[in-house]
Amino acid sequence: MNETLTQTATRPVSAAGAANFVRQHWPWLLVLLIALALPWLFYDWSRARHSGFVVAMLSQMSMMVIFALSYNMQMGQAGLLSFGHAVFFGLGGYCAAHALNLVKDGSFWLPTELIPLAGGLGGLAFAIVFGYIATKQRATAFAMITLGIGELITACALMFKTFFGGEGGVSTNRVIGTSLFGLGYGPAIQVYYLIVVWTVIAIALMQLLTQTPLGRMANACRDNFERAQFVGYDPSRVRFFQFTLSGFFAGVGGGLYALTYEIVTFDTVAGAMSANALLMTYIGGVGAFAGPVIGAVLIVLLQSWVSLLSNSWLVYVGVLFILMVTFAPGGITGLVLMHEPIWRSGRIGRLAGPYARVVLPSLILATGFVLLVELCSFITIGAAQGKSFTASGVTIDPQHPGPWLVGAALVIAGGFALWREGRHFRAVWERVSEEIKAAGREL
Amino acid sequence: MSEAAIRLRDVHKSFGPTPIITGVSLDVGRGERHAIIGPNGAGKTTLFNLISGRFPVTRGTVELDGHVISGLAPHRINRLGLSRSFQITSIFPRMTVFENIRCGLLWSRGYRYSFWHLLGRERALNEAALALLADVNLESRRDVPAGLLSYAEQRALEIGITIAGGAGTILLDEPTAGMSRSETDHAVALIRRVTEGKTLVMVEHDMSVVFDLADVVTVLVYGKVIASGPPAAIRANRAVQEAYLGTGAH
Repeated sequence: MNETLTQTATRPVSAAGAANFVRQHWPWLLVLLIALALPWLFYDWSRARHSGFVVAMLSQMSMMVIFALSYNMQMGQAGLLSFGHAVFFGLGGYCAAHALNLVKDGSFWLPTELIPLAGGLGGLAFAIVFGYIATKQRATAFAMITLGIGELITACALMFKTFFGGEGGVSTNRVIGTSLFGLGYGPAIQVYYLIVVWTVIAIALMQLLTQTPLGRMANACRDNFERAQFVGYDPSRVRFFQFTLSGFFAGVGGGLYALTYEIVTFDTVAGAMSANALLMTYIGGVGAFAGPVIGAVLIVLLQSWVSLLSNSWLVYVGVLFILMVTFAPGGITGLVLMHEPIWRSGRIGRLAGPYARVVLPSLILATGFVLLVELCSFITIGAAQGKSFTASGVTIDPQHPGPWLVGAALVIAGGFALWREGRHFRAVWERVSEEIKAAGREL
Repeated sequence: MSEAAIRLRDVHKSFGPTPIITGVSLDVGRGERHAIIGPNGAGKTTLFNLISGRFPVTRGTVELDGHVISGLAPHRINRLGLSRSFQITSIFPRMTVFENIRCGLLWSRGYRYSFWHLLGRERALNEAALALLADVNLESRRDVPAGLLSYAEQRALEIGITIAGGAGTILLDEPTAGMSRSETDHAVALIRRVTEGKTLVMVEHDMSVVFDLADVVTVLVYGKVIASGPPAAIRANRAVQEAYLGTGAH
């Protein structure tokens, strides 16, 4: 009698709990659905195979999401600017590659599914060692130490051949036949779904970490480390624990890298990889938990898709980064969140006109800029590669002054129009914000 | 006299060759409300920084409830039961008011560096934080980022953070600086209420606040204590009048 009562009582509660969970986390669930479905949207039914390009890009995106989020555990959440975060990603990757090789040799048994955990533990172990040194400091000194550690490990990667394999890196084979589910992990699509599972776990854990005493005190030490001391916390301890946990997740990302590419080289620990973490996190937005996810997806998209179209894709990433730092220090999520009060007050429609008026000049400016960059690129690298510059069917001759003049004219005209429309936009934005403030006071 | 909460023995502090505190000995009795006054540059804030461990002493000892605390890191001194506020408001500006108060509670409630407790589920902790918010009259502002509060509200929040850990000894550095008359009256009432039964040491420029709140007043001039005693005696003290009150400097 009592049992049936509790059963009927708990069932609606858990249903409501699930509904509540969906209501709270629907954007994440939507992204997960898209991530699961995307490989099938690009499935080649006539040849019954997945698009290798799409699966590779999605795999890369997922592991970069983990990497960028782990970076933001330091940057956004603890206020620690690191220039050496790739160290933990790469070392995690090396550890995972060695684990794969050892399992294959029969030295010990580990299911394929748990190989990324070996990467995570590797990242954690190295983060304990290097974190012990780096987290005694904060701010600029911390940044410099992480830069030094990054350079140190990159140099070591070329020197200590037993662990790092020298310039050739460590090759491995993910088909070790120890899957818990009887999967071979030969096809990239199987690895992709394993990556998605690990990404979901890592995102959930990192999100939960923000709600723990350590996560909150990391925020507190970022905001005001001196105050944190006077509520009983040792800020260097807070930094140390946050740093090591962040190293663990970076290592998980590296483990997934090892599984995906079956080779780990010194690029994974190098400065360019650390810079990638910084770029992804900053462009996505350090202030919101989801910011680095957006940044990682965008940067990988640029890396894999725009790099097919243009030799100069890195120029565009660089310009994007500078524009974000200058005009939107909150990153993409910061830009979106800025609109929230205007949206809630029902005044978002007022911005539609001004937005429309900045779009055209922006496009003109961007077109002119891209034209000039591509002309530069074709006159040098393109010529060496023997490529010809074609845009929508028209072949453009970079030796001719015409295209250069058109590019310059577009940049100047677009830039001038954008400057004027930008002022108009800002005026409208300020007026609307003032109205909202005034309305807030009346309430 | 009851046992001393804070005891300073011949404390010296120099920055480079410049002496700031030149031999201060002082007892603050347990449960006492003690005000430190003195002209600008007398070393009042430095004295606070020495007691709270923000700066190391050059010479001498500081004791808290009988333990020597000079030489300990600030967080260790805080854990022994001493908490302080700052002359320039010191809060966690990007966190909400509620989070600010909750951070003040964490260590004293034994959470340490835990990354396995979810704060949303810690009912006793959250209730205590809400109760403290009510104590400092910031209930209606609980979800506002602390950096957006008005100046007086930020000062009240800082007092909330300062008392949150349940420290028996509270140091307040100019808690009413920059406040209007009515804001000051509110702050004084708040301080009186929340430091009930605790030892309170404060630096204060506003003489009406000093004579209203303090049981004992210490006058510091050029790094030395020139007088210490009940407010009435201090007011009557000739040396104090000459060095400080008499000049009407403030």
